[in-house]
Amino acid sequence: MAKVIPMPPFLCVITDEEMNPVSLAAEALRGGAPMIQLRHKSADGRALFDWALEIRKRCTEHGALFIVNDRLDIAMASGADGVHLGQEDIPLRAARKAVGNTMLIGISATSIEEAQKAQDEGADYIGLGHIFPTISKEKHHPPLGLEALEKAASLISIPILAIGGITMENAPALISAGAAGIAVISAVSRAQSPLQAAKELSRVINLNR
Amino acid sequence: MRQLPEKQHALPRICIISSGQEKNKEGTHLSSLFESIPDDANCMVQIREKHLGGLALYNLACLARKKRGTKKVLLLLNERADIAFVSGLDGVHLPEKACSPAALKEGGLEMLFGCSVHSLQSAIEAERSGADYLLFGPVFDTPSKRRYGPPQGIEKLKQVCRLTHLPVFALGGITMETAPFCREMGAYGCAALSLFLDSALLAGTLEQLNLIWQK
Repeated sequence: MAKVIPMPPFLCVITDEEMNPVSLAAEALRGGAPMIQLRHKSADGRALFDWALEIRKRCTEHGALFIVNDRLDIAMASGADGVHLGQEDIPLRAARKAVGNTMLIGISATSIEEAQKAQDEGADYIGLGHIFPTISKEKHHPPLGLEALEKAASLISIPILAIGGITMENAPALISAGAAGIAVISAVSRAQSPLQAAKELSRVINLNR
Repeated sequence: MRQLPEKQHALPRICIISSGQEKNKEGTHLSSLFESIPDDANCMVQIREKHLGGLALYNLACLARKKRGTKKVLLLLNERADIAFVSGLDGVHLPEKACSPAALKEGGLEMLFGCSVHSLQSAIEAERSGADYLLFGPVFDTPSKRRYGPPQGIEKLKQVCRLTHLPVFALGGITMETAPFCREMGAYGCAALSLFLDSALLAGTLEQLNLIWQK
């Protein structure tokens, strides 16, 4: 069954390495996030799988998409809707060959060229960033900025999720620049109430529709 | 569909674990390992390079398949069933705290499943969840495993072999001197890393080990 990406503009909440991903996902879902990405680089496979099953269940209850970062095996075993692959993960073509169209494949791109290549190779969506300076992940490039996002959005037809340094204040500008959605970690996970933050982010990106 | 060995009894007796020292996709160590494995050797190789990311492992797995050529060597990748699957390896070797074989099979990842176990309890669990073979250790004292505590010993190995129906490979401190004890305790075969590091001795080592299990 083909999976469908939410109607833009939408919010994708990525779990935070520093906290329990299941409770964070649960709050984000209650705050209305239509897409959750489980991302944990250091967890054991079994812990990751157990979390994935829990989040899978909650996403189904909320009609939200569930994506697993990097680990296609955990995505397949937990019945996730998709996998999100970075440039240093399993190559897109190899992953697509294994799952066909039964699963969404998102690709992280740090440049327009990478985004273009991912589209050509059959990605379902792009995570483009980081757009703004960010503390969530260590970065080797300067932020791309809004202009690069705008240019990417004009060249690329698959949905672009803007990522990196997103706040309540700058989120609306990303949608105006052509992003189909925003993907956040700390803007939700480090908020006093992740539920309220998810709700508020969804609200502000829908103001300019 | 890939060809699985005719259930467990077609499994080789020897499992070579990769050096853990691959720096990049060039796979210098794996390449030289495959060059030293004789054409008619009966063994399996577990690629265990835990420091490498998905893309590097994928490239390494593809390279290993190419280097294997027509040799009968079974190829497994540590932990990452997805990468083993997409690169067409024969199986995956799962650490004790990995996702279970049953869950991976359920998700469509059908292949040969090996499981590391360090206790009777986890041996039983691994068998129940669909493992094709077990790797138990460290049986003897080995410098690389000292930080995990004392070795398990051959009595414990014997218990694991008796309590499960699966082929059990003994790991940890395996040498020509210790291997016969493992066989006596019921081990199906053995697995090692450092024993196979000297490529000049590899062919002889494989032959002698196979002889131990043929007696």
